[in-house]
Amino acid sequence: MTIATADTPRSTPNAGSLMQADAKTAKRNAREKRFRLYGLIAVCTGILMLVLLMISILTAGLSAFRQTTIEISVPLDAERLDPEGNRNPVEMASVTTFGYAPLLRDGLMQTIEAAGIETDLPEGDIADLISDESVAQLRATVLANPELVGQTVPVEVLASGRIDGFFKGRVTYETAELDSNISPEQLRLAEALEEAGLLRTGFNWRFITAPDASSTRPEAAGLGVAILGSFYMMLVVLVLSLPIGVAASIYLEEFAPQNRFTDLIEVNISNLAAVPSIVFGILGLAIFINFAGLPQSAPIVGGLVLTLMTLPTIIIATRAALKAVPPSIRDAALGIGASKMQAVFHHVLPLAMPGILTGTIIGLAQALGETAPLLLIGMVAFVREYPDAPWDGGLFDPATALPVQVYNFTQRSDPAFVERASGAIIVLLIFLLIMNLAAIFLRRKFERRW
Amino acid sequence: MSPLWLLVSIAVLALIGAVIGRRKAMASAGGDARELHSLPNYYGANVALLVTAPALLVLAAWMILQPMLIEGRVASIVPDAAYQDAGALNLLMADVRRVAGGLDLAVAQGALTAQEAHDAEATDLRARLAEIGVAVGSEVDTVILEAAQRYRVLDSRADLARTVVILILALAGFIFTVSRIDRTYRARNSVELAVLVLLIGASTIAILTTFGIVMSMLFETMNFFRQYPASEFFFSTTWDPSFSGRGGASELGILPLLWGTLYISLIALLVSVPIGLFAAIYLSEYADKRFRGFAKPLLEVLAGIPTIVYGLFALITVGPLLRDAIASPLGLGNSASSVMTAGLVMGIMLIPFVSSLSDDIINAVPQAMRDGSYGLGATQSETIRQVIVPAALPGIVGAILLAASRAIGETMIVVLGAGAAARIDVNPFEAMTTVTVKIVSQLTGDTDFSSPETLVAFALGLTLFVITLGLNVLALYIVRRYREQYE
Amino acid sequence: MNDMRFVERTVGNEEVKIAARGVHVYYGDTHAIKDVNIDIADKMVTAFIGPSGCGKSTFLRCINRMNDTIPIARIEGDIMIDGEDIYDRRVDPVQLRAKVGMVFQKPNPFPKSIYDNVAYGPKIHGLARNKAELDEIVETSLRRAALWDEVKDRLQAPGTGLSGGQQQRLCIARAVATSPEVLLMDEPCSALDPIATDQVENLIHELRERYSVVIVTHSMSQASRVSQRTAYFHLGEMVEYGETGDIFTNPRDQRTENYITGRIG
Repeated sequence: MTIATADTPRSTPNAGSLMQADAKTAKRNAREKRFRLYGLIAVCTGILMLVLLMISILTAGLSAFRQTTIEISVPLDAERLDPEGNRNPVEMASVTTFGYAPLLRDGLMQTIEAAGIETDLPEGDIADLISDESVAQLRATVLANPELVGQTVPVEVLASGRIDGFFKGRVTYETAELDSNISPEQLRLAEALEEAGLLRTGFNWRFITAPDASSTRPEAAGLGVAILGSFYMMLVVLVLSLPIGVAASIYLEEFAPQNRFTDLIEVNISNLAAVPSIVFGILGLAIFINFAGLPQSAPIVGGLVLTLMTLPTIIIATRAALKAVPPSIRDAALGIGASKMQAVFHHVLPLAMPGILTGTIIGLAQALGETAPLLLIGMVAFVREYPDAPWDGGLFDPATALPVQVYNFTQRSDPAFVERASGAIIVLLIFLLIMNLAAIFLRRKFERRW
Repeated sequence: MSPLWLLVSIAVLALIGAVIGRRKAMASAGGDARELHSLPNYYGANVALLVTAPALLVLAAWMILQPMLIEGRVASIVPDAAYQDAGALNLLMADVRRVAGGLDLAVAQGALTAQEAHDAEATDLRARLAEIGVAVGSEVDTVILEAAQRYRVLDSRADLARTVVILILALAGFIFTVSRIDRTYRARNSVELAVLVLLIGASTIAILTTFGIVMSMLFETMNFFRQYPASEFFFSTTWDPSFSGRGGASELGILPLLWGTLYISLIALLVSVPIGLFAAIYLSEYADKRFRGFAKPLLEVLAGIPTIVYGLFALITVGPLLRDAIASPLGLGNSASSVMTAGLVMGIMLIPFVSSLSDDIINAVPQAMRDGSYGLGATQSETIRQVIVPAALPGIVGAILLAASRAIGETMIVVLGAGAAARIDVNPFEAMTTVTVKIVSQLTGDTDFSSPETLVAFALGLTLFVITLGLNVLALYIVRRYREQYE
Repeated sequence: MNDMRFVERTVGNEEVKIAARGVHVYYGDTHAIKDVNIDIADKMVTAFIGPSGCGKSTFLRCINRMNDTIPIARIEGDIMIDGEDIYDRRVDPVQLRAKVGMVFQKPNPFPKSIYDNVAYGPKIHGLARNKAELDEIVETSLRRAALWDEVKDRLQAPGTGLSGGQQQRLCIARAVATSPEVLLMDEPCSALDPIATDQVENLIHELRERYSVVIVTHSMSQASRVSQRTAYFHLGEMVEYGETGDIFTNPRDQRTENYITGRIG
């Protein structure tokens, strides 16, 4: 349908009937559809990426929650473990793990023999089936129950990382051919043990409660210290950032006059919210550790750094919550002779509380996932000792944090640590999920329309 | 008296003060609270405040200043011959503190009597301290011991002075306020003033933090530039710190790091801006309520995921995938960590950032604009492309700048996804490194705050801070101007 | 129904441009327009008057299907333009709106230059084959909107920088540029000062020669100044429709009379 003729450039596009779309309009509508499609594709790409991310983490990490163990009957030779014969744990502690290692090995051999499994592997290779950590495990068990000495007790020990990987599908006969740490024969023996009911895979509580383990023992590595460290830091963040953030917001929203000082604070807050997190790490290192002399790797320092990072989030949320309380409430309180301070603390603040708490939880969730600044204040250190309780100075004991532990795992060469890192992320995400659900619940429950 | 006991005594005094203050106020009003200017509790709180506030402030200042002053005094008695440079003096003073602390501990545990500690000989001191669990770096020599004894004397004197001053202050506050209480005293106003001061104090923390950030980096950066020429740092194209071979000259040029940072950020923006913008347009202009209600929160979940998770995603999934599917077959490299890996993953992280900012900005375009365009017979996409987006452009540019600032300052994704090799290359499948990665690597592990290899991290941090601050200020300015336009 | 017969008699001898039959509009649960029947003549100015909230703007927005952009709006009945049902499934609202232009209550120039504001419509509808033609369209439209002389030296200046009256005339020029056949005006002068109002009213007089103009206004004096026909709306119903002079001097419905004499506001 031609529209413009040479003489008359102006002509209506719809000289014809409205009932027929002209060619131009059809083209435009096609373009409209395409444009709309691009938008849909963009949204779907975003969601797809989320799904991929989740699948990637879950497939890599869910197996961390299962652990292969081997049940061994260990003869606890009294001669070796308690030469004094007093069954006194203090005396028995002088026997180091080296004293226990042969017992464990003997136990393993006897167990295999008793199960009627034939193998021509040398003893050293058979012993490699169990984790190096299991000796320490055995020693700890014995020291806790000295009366076991002299008996032959069944002990559930961790299988080595490669064997564990075999039952999770990470290690196969093909990869074992190329791997100097494991041979197909060992895998065959492990399968025989499984058939004999001695080797099994179960839920891995140790992963959540045990401390980290050295880089050669991925099967023993746990998140206990990291979870505790993260918890301590959240405690510090909550105790410091909530009152400070609320106090600052009340001042800025309710009392601050419009002047340059107030402007300066406002500009600072909005900028701090966008400063890269690693810069806060440098601040923590320079001020809290080098200048104030606080210890490295301590939850108190991590908590202080994260407090400074969380404050802008909490202040912004709190101010929004305060702003949402209608002025009529303040007027009502002032009108019956309350002071401004009383109006704010008795009426405005309680009404704004749900919003403040929601913002605080979201701020805490952000802080919980923060990694970079903690690297700089020494939280990457290898920590095996649980920190003391907070009232015993535990905040000053070395600890790590969940996200930093993830980073730590990724820096180790054994591929089994990928599973541990992903598992740690699942734990982290579960915590974040709980916190966000709590925030959503609070918001729903107390949502108020004025 | 230890600080903890001081705090306890102040608290007890405050509590007594509160009770007495309340009583006295009630007594002055003849037991009738209506006669008082303020509620009785305000009188009590007023006393408690004046007991605690000055005492605590002075205590805090004292705790910070005392070690600094004493160290200065003690350091001055250490003969110059005992150390070569400032670093050595620091180590020496650390030993002095440890010996002094060890002696105190020994007395406290009863391993030594006060007199024995005072007369302790340098010879076997290390072993004796080790017995009670205090490890001293080197054998204790007379210089250290002498300094340590001096340290103990000064420290105990200062502790005593601190206790006396603080208690006097608290008592003075107690007596002063209690004496002023009568029926007409405006206790509420006084308490409220104190609370207001507290509120103001809390809100200045933002300024203090910024100040702390700038100062902490500025001093060390100046230290760095004293040891390493600034022109080299800013213009050298080589990054090659020599950590092991001390003395072997390090080359610490920032350019390769900036190149990696900007390259990765560029890829991240190329991914996130189109996807984020189109997603925002679709969600705000096309999607029906149900789709929006389901898709928007899902996209926002991406923003709530910690960056370490993205880092791991880059490390275990995206990196190997890109290497095996694209880089290796095309002969572009065989490294799993690469600019592309980090850029792509960072792009995913930034999608919700761009989309939620753009969403706000698009929604701020007045409906009248849309009506005007529809009224002329424009289709929805024509309206969006030719009216809404141009109208929202300043805001969108601001959002992109904010996203860029995020990308430049992002750490964990690049630490795990980009690699550690500083190089200037155009092949995006090569591993490169960024400013943030190098800050982490220079400041973790063994650090020596007198070597340029460690101090360079502060210069890098300051550069990063200045760049991101500039972008943020610019972006916030643009966005604010944009919002004012439609208000 | 007596009223309707009166309407048909007076309008019958002219060419009917827009015909509405049994139009109902619902916003969610609200019944905003109740059974409106009207014939609007070509090359004439028709004014819709009535108290605020009476549905006059809603009805106006039905004529170029602007209500389509409101998800909860639902329309029943037929509206014909040149005998074609504009709510027919085959009709593309985009094409319709090029034929039925609209000017809004508040001047809403795009944040672009004056030139681009006017050229926007012709561009999207592809009315010009080259720059010269586009220039011509822009100039003609600005002349028709009586704005050319004021802005011809600053066509690249932003449209938002003009005064209120100029902005509204720019919006009229913008609507005229797509060569519509009908021009809908939704209280075009309510945001303008008296001088600007006067300019726009004069313009409406001239526009009448080419277009069929429908204007919604809350000012009765304006309706009497610019229109030949007037329809009075009350609570979603069209109460009375006829020659403007008749409506104002001799209203036949009590509600119309109350409104005109100032008893309903």
